[in-house]
Amino acid sequence: MPELNAKIPSGPLKDKWTQHKAHIKLVNPANKHKYNIIVVGTGLAGGSAAATLAELGYNVQVFCFQDSPRRAHSIAAQGGINASKNYPNDGDSIYRLFYDTIKGGDFRSREANVYRLAEVSGNIIDQCVAQGVPFAREYAGYLDNRSFGGAQVSRTFYARGQTGQQLLLGAYSALMKEVNKGSVKMFPRTEMLELVVVDGVARGIVTRNLVTGDIETHAADAVVLATGGYANVFHLSTNAKGANVTAIWRAHKKGAFMANPCYTQIHPTCIPVHGDYQSKLTLMSESLRNDGRVWVPKKPQDKRNPRDIPEEERDYYLERKYPSFGNLVPRDLASRNAKEVCDEGRGVGPTGQAVYLDFADALKRSGKAVLAERYGNLFDMYEKITGSNPYDEPMMIYPAAHYTMGGLWVDYNLMSNLPGLFVIGEANFSDHGANRLGASALMQGLADGYFILPYTIGDYLAGVKAGKATTDIPEFKEAEKYAKEKINRLLTIRGKRTVDEFHRELGLLMWNQCGMARDEKGLKEALSRIFEIRNEFWQNVDVPGSGTDLNQSLERAGRVADFLEFAETMVYDALHRKESCGGHFREEFQTPEGEALRNDNHFCYVAAWEFNGVGKEPVLHKEPLDFEEVHLAQRNYK
Amino acid sequence: MSKINLTLKVWRQKNGREKGGFETYTAKDIDTDMSFLEMLDVVNEQLTHEGKEPIAFDHDCREGVCGMCGAVINGQAHGPLKGTTLCQLHMRNFRNGETLVIEPWRSRGFPILKDLVVDRSAFDRIIAAGGYISVKTGQAPDAHAVPVRKEDSDTAFDAAACIGCGACVAACPNASAMLFTAAKVSHLSHLPQGQVEAPERVIKMVEQMDKERFGNCSNEYECEAACPKEISVEHIARMNSEYRQAKWKAKH
Amino acid sequence: MGSLSTYFTSSVGRKQIVAVTGLLLILFVIGHLAGNLLIFLGPEAFNNYAKKLAGLRPGLYLVEVGLCFVFVVHFFVTGVLVYENYLARNTQYGVNAAKGQRSWATRLMPYTGTLLLVFVVYHLLDFTFIDKHGHRSILADGNSYGLYGVVVNAFADPGHSTFYIAAMMALGLHLSHGVESFIQTFGFNHPRYTPMIKTFSHIFALVISFAYSSIPVYILLNYPKVP
Repeated sequence: MPELNAKIPSGPLKDKWTQHKAHIKLVNPANKHKYNIIVVGTGLAGGSAAATLAELGYNVQVFCFQDSPRRAHSIAAQGGINASKNYPNDGDSIYRLFYDTIKGGDFRSREANVYRLAEVSGNIIDQCVAQGVPFAREYAGYLDNRSFGGAQVSRTFYARGQTGQQLLLGAYSALMKEVNKGSVKMFPRTEMLELVVVDGVARGIVTRNLVTGDIETHAADAVVLATGGYANVFHLSTNAKGANVTAIWRAHKKGAFMANPCYTQIHPTCIPVHGDYQSKLTLMSESLRNDGRVWVPKKPQDKRNPRDIPEEERDYYLERKYPSFGNLVPRDLASRNAKEVCDEGRGVGPTGQAVYLDFADALKRSGKAVLAERYGNLFDMYEKITGSNPYDEPMMIYPAAHYTMGGLWVDYNLMSNLPGLFVIGEANFSDHGANRLGASALMQGLADGYFILPYTIGDYLAGVKAGKATTDIPEFKEAEKYAKEKINRLLTIRGKRTVDEFHRELGLLMWNQCGMARDEKGLKEALSRIFEIRNEFWQNVDVPGSGTDLNQSLERAGRVADFLEFAETMVYDALHRKESCGGHFREEFQTPEGEALRNDNHFCYVAAWEFNGVGKEPVLHKEPLDFEEVHLAQRNYK
Repeated sequence: MSKINLTLKVWRQKNGREKGGFETYTAKDIDTDMSFLEMLDVVNEQLTHEGKEPIAFDHDCREGVCGMCGAVINGQAHGPLKGTTLCQLHMRNFRNGETLVIEPWRSRGFPILKDLVVDRSAFDRIIAAGGYISVKTGQAPDAHAVPVRKEDSDTAFDAAACIGCGACVAACPNASAMLFTAAKVSHLSHLPQGQVEAPERVIKMVEQMDKERFGNCSNEYECEAACPKEISVEHIARMNSEYRQAKWKAKH
Repeated sequence: MGSLSTYFTSSVGRKQIVAVTGLLLILFVIGHLAGNLLIFLGPEAFNNYAKKLAGLRPGLYLVEVGLCFVFVVHFFVTGVLVYENYLARNTQYGVNAAKGQRSWATRLMPYTGTLLLVFVVYHLLDFTFIDKHGHRSILADGNSYGLYGVVVNAFADPGHSTFYIAAMMALGLHLSHGVESFIQTFGFNHPRYTPMIKTFSHIFALVISFAYSSIPVYILLNYPKVP
């Protein structure tokens, strides 16, 4: 089994990126326009990368499945973006941000990448302010900061509860500026179906125009995937309905390695599922745990009105188990504990899959006005969705799939093992290790897009002869034919079950067997069930309509078909990783107190999987993680 | 949890070239906790099982921020509630037995692609015409180099909250895109960073808006009432003023 | 920056032209009203005023041509905008329902405007382009009272008066939206002052339409006692 080379520059950690930038190859400014770069996805990573590459002079083509690049799901991020500016003068530094991120990720990320992320974090804030992002400000006119989970300093910049929206609109505006200049050609409502690989090198993509159904081919000197995460493998998640694994999965099937797919983040404070028809789960900001107390009744199946349950019959389980962090333990712990009490039959609400988040004490202590100022918009949103008023009765919350740390494997230059294929943002296996800290996803997406990829892609392109990109080669014809055949197959099955029914079934299976807690038996069961569901899908799915116009059932069918293949790889990864770390909790591997038990001797590596055929176990490649700067320790939040 | 039955009259149109019309469907046993889009999901599942083509409608985040969803319900963009996108409108706001007429945004600037799906690329072109600060990556000074009055920053945010859904155009009796355009103009010109380009920006954006063949504003303020982010028409006034000054003060 | 000519073809520019011409017309409406109210002081005062005004010629022609131009521009540009607005909603909604507080004054702007155009033409034929000392100027006592007599005779006819009053109500509606609309279109909207201007706009419209209407009402009630 060959080890993967991440091409991490040598030298001391804090000099690596500076030195690397100083020594990588450059493309002559006069030649840049001769290079074609394809960017798929227009979220924070894709949008910022496309805009920056175009500013540098490259010829950029940008694709997104939404009707406008402004709608990518980065837009839904609420809380904020971290940066080690140390504006509050509370002792923050690049090193602290680096260390917090490594620790938060449960020591399963690459030191060099994380350090670089912390290093460029400050530039992101500068850039966004210059673009007109209206970050929250103090009366003096300077930027305000707040604190977030997993950190002891205030380093989170925010724009009310819509930080992601404002940052994305910043990147989008930069992108549209380049569209106007003609240096970016935009292809909205266009979905990538295939990656075209010629002699082991990524040379272009095959797309479907979602309005006309036309299958088109696009050649390039480099392909950048910025297509987000795969949390919708669980069907119900906080992700947008359109979020999918298709682009990275199809690249994976062409040879790109899939790294750590089992690292998925479950967010503890979401509005619980309330019916079979449910299409998505809504996140309620983590900040609510500052004032809300989490509890369930001590007695199982206690169906009394929460206000009728006396204090001594309530179990404030987070405060009981983690006296020092209390309700503010990291996301993975809060989520897992909620599941545990629900599994004991102590869950509340009509489904028994919820816990209370109670503001009664905070109301008594601070008054309604103060709470309204802090959480008014969240309370309103909760009431809009559930019809229940959190000032009068406790909120009901339950964890939901939220973010995926795994993704395509990339080296230090953000290039996958396929030369010419770059992967950025949530789509790569990322800098977050086994668990991501709050307010770090926005940071990583923009770091990759604005400040890292634009340099590193030049290093690759400098070695590629410009102007050679053409779709006039057999590989494109083949990929196009394959994409068309797949669509025809989906349209001709005309079975009895809808695409959503399959997605729901897969999602529930993954949630139960490969969600917040996993064990060998469940994972093995999942493998055989996925196989069955996939087989039935290809015999019994009903995709109405035609392939030659706007057909949303067909779009979903293609995506669900990919989830049905991808899910297997995710389960294989979870099965092989015989340890618990961050978002990956194996019930067999826990401390006597029920905490995640890492196995640094055997699993301190990135698991990068090579595709080996549908339904076949993928081939494992390892990238060992060397920690030179930090000391591996068990996380402790007691 | 209660259930209601509804009659839906939905605009069905195969594509932009063919004529459309209303089709009537029944939505039975609709859980009042459902969102409007989940109700449409249920109807679509039912249509699929009946061998009919489901209703095409745009949607994505389903939490009111991506701006993808939207339809006119009984004559009101995003339905009867103020400050709400269609995905955040829940069925408890409707009565058992009610008939709902569901139509796409109607504007010459938003050609219908299919059923309830319209082409809003005109909005992208308006932004591309000048809805940005032309700073390149790497040129920015330190974020604290220029303080910004909190009041200005907050007002800029109010305008920047626009999700580009197009409800303003749909609700305007003249199908005008003034609120959308003004929100961006006003967001950027409220910030010192955005003031350098402000005169050029407002001119270019207004001219692009006109090219997209939206209607003209007649100060009826239906846009503000339909806006899911409740963006104020004060931003339109500001754009009017900025445009007038930019045009009359221009040196050539 | 594009030439100034594009200002006159842009949506915002043309609306501002409508707003400015509207403002000028409001000034005219106020001046005209002041003259009209002299009727309450009797035939002498009223006819003297008319005579003085006529004595300002030929300078007055210039003002009249200007006024006519303003009126035509106001009407014509609005007409084009309204037509464009009609085209902009290429398919009508199956159901129309306002979500905001769209007032009747606002909805009826094109109709009140058109009624006012018809009225102005009629009004000119009625009181301006006539023989001011002909048979229409002779009141019950058999004497000619000049323009004063023409006005009194006209308003003594209830049908005639009703039409005038209806036109003035239309003017009131038109102004109640017009004044506040001017503020918005010119960009003077201000969170503190706009609500005040709105109220002012409504009161102003009410005062103008009632003041104009008071003349036919007064004559109707007092005929044939006047003068």
